[in-house]
Amino acid sequence: MLSESFIASTLASAKTPTATLRDVGICVQELQPSPQLRSTFKKSSTSTNCLAVTPSHIFAAQADKAVVHVYSREKGNQEALVPFPERIRSIAVADAKYGDVLILGTEGGRLILWETCTGRQLATTASHLQPVTSIVVDPTSNFILSGSDDASIHVWSIPNILSFSKPAHSGRDRQPANAPIRTFSNHRGGITSLAVGHSSGRHNIAVSTAKDNTAIAWDYQTGQVLRTYLLPFFATCVALDPVDRAFYVGYENGSAQSVDLYRSQSSQHPLHDASLQATPAQVSAEDRWLPPAADSGTVKALTLSYDGTILLSAHESGKVLSWNIARRKFTASVADYTHPVTNLVMLSPSGLLSPSQELKRVTHTIIKPRIDNSFADPAHAPGAVPAEYKFHTHVVTSSAQSRKPSPFSQALTHAFFPESMIEEGLAELAALQSPDALNPVRVVAGTASTDHSAPTPMEEDSRVADLERELATLQKKVALNDTARQANVSEVVQLRSTVTQLQDYINELHEKQEAAHADRVKRQARKEERETKRRQAWLAAEKKGRNGDAAMKKMEIDEDVLTSDSDDQSDE
Amino acid sequence: MASTTLRAVTHRLTTTPVEQLPSITAFLATSLSDCSDLLSAPQGQKAGKGDSDHAVQIHKLKTRLASLVQDRTVEGRWTAVVLAKATVEAGQWEILRGYEPIVRGLIGILAKPDPLSTRKMCIITLTRIFHLTYQYPTLVREITTPHLPGFVTAVLNLVSTLVKTASGSVRKPKPNNPFTELALHAILELIPRHPTIFRPFGTQLSSLLAEILSSSAHVFFPESVQEVAVQVFASLYRCAPKDKSGAEWIDRCKSTVLSAHRAADHVFRAVSEQWESVDPSVVHTKQHYSDEAGDSSADALGFQGWSGIHSGVNRLITLLRVLSGIISMPAAATVPIPLGSILDLTSRLASVTVPSSEANQSGVQFNSQISRDEREVLWAELPRIHVACMNLLEDVVCLLENSTASISQNIVDQVTWIFKSENYSRDVRTASYKLLSSVVRIHGPAMAKQTVASTMGIIRSSCNDVLPEYEDQNASGKSQSDSKSKNKGGTGTANADSFLDPELRKKQQVKAGPQFPHLQDAASAFLRDFLASISPQLLSPSIRAEVDRTIILTSDKKAMLASVLNPIPAAKGRGAGSSLMPFLVRGYSDEMAVEALVRPRMPVIMTAPELDAYVEMEEDEEAEEIADRPVVANPQSSTFMTGIAMPTRAPTTEASAASSVQKRTYFEETAAGVQSSTAEQQSAQIKKPRIDAEEDTPASVPVFQPSKIAATMVPKQVPAVSQPSAPQPVSEAVDVATLSVDDSDDELPALNIDPDTDDEDEDDDEDTAMDG
Repeated sequence: MLSESFIASTLASAKTPTATLRDVGICVQELQPSPQLRSTFKKSSTSTNCLAVTPSHIFAAQADKAVVHVYSREKGNQEALVPFPERIRSIAVADAKYGDVLILGTEGGRLILWETCTGRQLATTASHLQPVTSIVVDPTSNFILSGSDDASIHVWSIPNILSFSKPAHSGRDRQPANAPIRTFSNHRGGITSLAVGHSSGRHNIAVSTAKDNTAIAWDYQTGQVLRTYLLPFFATCVALDPVDRAFYVGYENGSAQSVDLYRSQSSQHPLHDASLQATPAQVSAEDRWLPPAADSGTVKALTLSYDGTILLSAHESGKVLSWNIARRKFTASVADYTHPVTNLVMLSPSGLLSPSQELKRVTHTIIKPRIDNSFADPAHAPGAVPAEYKFHTHVVTSSAQSRKPSPFSQALTHAFFPESMIEEGLAELAALQSPDALNPVRVVAGTASTDHSAPTPMEEDSRVADLERELATLQKKVALNDTARQANVSEVVQLRSTVTQLQDYINELHEKQEAAHADRVKRQARKEERETKRRQAWLAAEKKGRNGDAAMKKMEIDEDVLTSDSDDQSDE
Repeated sequence: MASTTLRAVTHRLTTTPVEQLPSITAFLATSLSDCSDLLSAPQGQKAGKGDSDHAVQIHKLKTRLASLVQDRTVEGRWTAVVLAKATVEAGQWEILRGYEPIVRGLIGILAKPDPLSTRKMCIITLTRIFHLTYQYPTLVREITTPHLPGFVTAVLNLVSTLVKTASGSVRKPKPNNPFTELALHAILELIPRHPTIFRPFGTQLSSLLAEILSSSAHVFFPESVQEVAVQVFASLYRCAPKDKSGAEWIDRCKSTVLSAHRAADHVFRAVSEQWESVDPSVVHTKQHYSDEAGDSSADALGFQGWSGIHSGVNRLITLLRVLSGIISMPAAATVPIPLGSILDLTSRLASVTVPSSEANQSGVQFNSQISRDEREVLWAELPRIHVACMNLLEDVVCLLENSTASISQNIVDQVTWIFKSENYSRDVRTASYKLLSSVVRIHGPAMAKQTVASTMGIIRSSCNDVLPEYEDQNASGKSQSDSKSKNKGGTGTANADSFLDPELRKKQQVKAGPQFPHLQDAASAFLRDFLASISPQLLSPSIRAEVDRTIILTSDKKAMLASVLNPIPAAKGRGAGSSLMPFLVRGYSDEMAVEALVRPRMPVIMTAPELDAYVEMEEDEEAEEIADRPVVANPQSSTFMTGIAMPTRAPTTEASAASSVQKRTYFEETAAGVQSSTAEQQSAQIKKPRIDAEEDTPASVPVFQPSKIAATMVPKQVPAVSQPSAPQPVSEAVDVATLSVDDSDDELPALNIDPDTDDEDEDDDEDTAMDG
C-alpha cells in the first residue's frame, strides 16, 4: 500500500510528555493516508540539522555532546554510540540511496567524513571560523555545502576528500585536497539553513538563509549569486520544491512563507536572467502564512511531501504542522511531541514501483570509525589502497546477472516453455517417428549455410565451390549417419513393440489358462454333485421298492440335456 | 469461462491418443496457464457446487499427469513434462500440494534414455518446482527435502562420472555433454534457496567445477558453460554450515586473490616487477627459470596445475572472474568486500604493460633469465589480462556506486595507464570505455582538471571508434600518405582501385570490413556520459570540437542532448558558444525530450497572471461549464499546485464569495461574479505579477474593498516586475502592469508554440482584441 511517512527528532526540554512519548527522542510518523505514530527511538536529544536518515539507519548527533547515536531502522533499536573528538553541530548523509558516507560538522569548524561501511574516518581542514551549523549534499553526492555561524558557506568535493590517491597537483596549486574547493561569502550573518536543488546537472542551485534576513539562491558550481531575497525576518529553515519552482522558509514567530522562483513571463529561467541577478527581491511580510496559534514557537525545520503539495513544519512547541501549499495556509496539526521538534526528514513513500530506488545492497550494521592507523597510506606505495580497506555490505540482488537473461532463466519463469524449446522437442519427437522426415530439414540447413558464405568476394568462387562440394559430401555423410541412426532407432522401437506384443500375448495365455483351470474345477464340482444326486435317487428308489437302475437311467437322460447346456455356457 | 476451459483440457488430455498429444501440448499448456485463477484458488474452504466440480477436474488433471509421467511412450512423457510445468506455473502452491508423485516420476525420467529435449525440460521443470517450494515450509517438507538430493544426484550423474578416491568421492565432468550448461544453471538457481540440502554435495560440486574451470587444452568447455561454472563456484560458499558461511566467504575471497597472485608470479616471470603488495602476507613464489612457465601443483581452490603462458593467462582470467562473481553475487549475509586486496591485485596486473618497443624498457624491466620468445608471448597475452581486470573493476563500481569515491582515482589511474600502452587492442578499448563511463557517471561532476586531462587520449580514441569508416576517407588518406612517401623517394603501392573508379570515391561507402558493435556502443556511451558529467570548463576547445563533430556525424540523439545541455562556456570576447541544438531538432523533432528542451513548459505552468484578464468575457460560458461538471480540475488554471488542490477547493469557494478576490484562478472569480466594473478589473490586473500575495488571510474575513486591495498592492508589485525604483503612485503602477501584460501577450505565440497551450493563446488573443 502506498504510504508516506516522516521522521522527526526532538530536543529534550523541561516539559514532561505523555507516557507513550516518555524518553522518546526520534519518532517515525505516518503522514498519509492516516497520520499516526509508527515507531519511536529513545534516549536522544538533537538540535536542528543534527539528524540524518539512511534506508537502514538513523544517525542523531546529540545536543551539547560529542556523541552520535546510531539507531537501526531494521531492528528498531539503538545500535551504537559513537564518540567524536569534538561536539557535532550538524550532520548529513552523502548518497541518499544507500547513505554510506556520513558527514559531520563540528564545533571547531571542520568536517568529519565517516564511511559507515568501512570504518574509515577523515577530517577536513578547519576552514570555518565558527561551528558548522548546516550541511547539505548535492543530488550527485559529489559536493558538500557547509554553512557556519561565520556567515560563509564552503563547497567541498567528496571524492577529493575521500580519495586514497590524489591527482598530481601542479606547482602553483598548493591547496590541500581536504580543503574546500569554493567559498560563498555573500551573507552578512550566520548561516541558518541550506537547501540544494534537485538537478544532477551542471546548473543546480542552492538556497541559503542567514541571520541577515536574506535568502540567496546561488549556483554552487560557480559560486555565482542568482538572486537575493530580502525576507521580512530572518529565516530559521528553508526547504525547496521538488521541481525547484519555489522555496519555503520558516520564521521564529512560527509562520512560514513560500517564495516563488518563477514570476516573470520571460522565456529565460528567471534565476539565470543576468539583468535580475543584481537586484534583491523584496518578500513581503504580509504574505506570510500565519500559524493557528501565536504560541507555536520558532519553526525549527521544514520539509515537503513527495508530491510537493504539503509543507510540514516543526515547531518549538513540539507540534508538527502541515500547510496546504496551493491554498497557502495552515491546514492541520499532524503531531505533538511536547519537546521542541528540531528535525524533520521526509521518507520517500513506500509502495512506489520505481526501479531506480530499488536497493542492490543493504547495510545491516555500521562499522564504527577505526581509530588505529590502519588506513594510512602504505609507506612504499603512496596513494595505494591499504589491504585492510574492506567494504561491509550485504548484496541482495545481483547487478551482473540482470545484464543478460540466459535462455535458462527465460525458460524457468515462462508460463510453460518458450516456443523455441517446444518446437525443438516436437522436431526431435517427429524425427524419432519418421526417419525420412529429417533429410529435407538437413538440406535446407545446408543451403542456408551456403547462403551465409555467399558474400565472400568473387575471386574466391572456386574456393566456395570447393567448400560447397565438401559441404555436400559432409551432408551426405551426415544423412547416412542419420539414416543409420534412424534405422537403429526404428529397430529399437520395433523390438520394443514386439516385446510389448509378446508380453500382451503371454498375459492372454495366462488368463486363458486360469480360466480353463477354473472351469475344470467347476465341472468337477458339478459332476460330484450329480453323482451324489444320482446316488440319492437310486437309494430313494430302492427304498420305495422300485428298480433303482431304471430311475437312474431316467435321471441320466434328463441330466445329459442339462449338462450339455451348462457345458456350452462354461465354454462361452 | 475458465472452468469450461479446464474441463476441455482434461477431456482432451484423457481422450486424445498418447501419440498425438505432443502436437496439441502447446495449446493445452496455454489454456492451462489461462485458467490460473482456478488452479491457484484455495480448495476445500467453500464446499460450493461449482467448487467441487473444479476440484474434480483438478484431481483428474493431476491423476492424468501422474500416469503420463509414468507412460510407456516417449510422447507421453514429453507431454507430461511440459504440462507439469504449465500446471505448476498456473497453480503455484495449490497445485504443488500433493505433487509429490509427479516429482518422483519426473526425477525418474532423468535416468531414462529419453530424447534430449524431454530431459532438458524435465530439469527446468524440477528446478522450477524446487524453486517455488522455497517459500513454503510445508512444501519443503513434503517435496523438497525428500526429493532434492535425488534430483541433484540425477543431474550430476547426467553431466559427470563419480570417481571414488581415498579422500572421498570426486566428480569428473563428461566432456561434450549437452546437459552441462543447463545442469549448472539449475544448481546455481537452487543453491541459494536450499543450501543445507546441497551441503553433502559441496565437495563433489567443487571438484567438478574446479575440473571444468581449470580445464586445459585437451578438454573444451564453451564460454557459456565456463560462465555459469564461475557463478556456481562463486556461490559454493553457501554450502558451508550456516554459522560458518561468512567465514567461508572471506576464505574463498582470500584464496582466490592469493591464487591469482600465484598465477601472476608464474605468468609475469619474464619481467621483473616493480610492484610491491600493500598486504605483507602476499609473498612471491620461487620458480625454476629453466622449465616452461607453469604451475604443476593444485592451488588452494582445488584448481589443477597448468603449463604454458596461454593456459596460465586463462587461469588468471578465470580467477578474476571468480573473484568478481564472489563479490557481486547476492550473499547470505553481510560480507566484507576486500577492496584493498582487489585494487592491490589489479594494480599489480596493470603495472605490467606492453612496452612501446623492445628497446624502450620504460616502466617494465625485463628479466634477463627468460627468453625473448616467452616475453613476446606475454606481450601478446597482456591485453586479455587487462580486460579481465577492468571487467572486475567495473563490477565493483556497479555494485558500490557512490561509495567508490575513495577508490575512483586509483581506478582511473589504472585505466589510463593500461590504455596508454595497449590502445591497439579493441577489447582493451571497449573495456576501458565501459569502466571509465561507469566511473564518470558517478564521480564526473567532481573530477579534477588533472584527472580529466589524463583521459584526453581515451576521448580522442573513442571519437575515432564511434565514427564508421568510409571507403572514401580511407582511400584519400592512403593516397596522401603515398604522396608523402613518394616525396621522400620511397615507392609505395597505392590502392589502384581507388584511382580507377571515380564513382567509388564520390559515394561515401561505409567500409565493408567487419563491424564492432560492442566497441561502438561502448564508445558512444562513454562520449555521452563524459559530456553529461564532466564540467565543460575542463575540456580544451579542440577536444570539445572533435567530440561535437563526432556526435553530429553519428547523429546520436542522447549524446546530442548531453552536448546541448552542457554547452561550451562562453569565453570572453566571443559571442555565445555554438550549440548542437539545430542538429538535434532537425533530426529528432518528434522526440519528447527534444520538445521539452526546445519549448519548455515550466515558466508557463507556474505563472498564470493573464488568467485574470479574460475572466469577464468568458464568465457565462464558464458558469455553464461549472454547472455541468461541478468538481473538475480547471483546465485554464495550469498552476500546478492549485490544480492538485482543486477538487477539494471548488465547492467551498463557490459557496463563499469572500475569498474570491484574492484567488488567482478565475474559477472563483466567475463564481463570485463581482468583476464587472473596469476599476475592479484594473485592480485585478495589478495583482497579476504577484502570485503569492495575501493568502495569509483566512477565508472568513469579509470581502476586501477594491480600493484597499490597490493600496496594499502597490509596494509589493514593485519588486515583482523588478523595478529598483521606489513605490509609484497607484495609477502609474496600473498602467505599467497593463502594459507589461499586453506585451507579454504579444510575445506569447513566439514563445509557446506547443499545442497544449493553444487554447490559452487563442483566449489571450481574443482577450487583447477585446481590451484593445
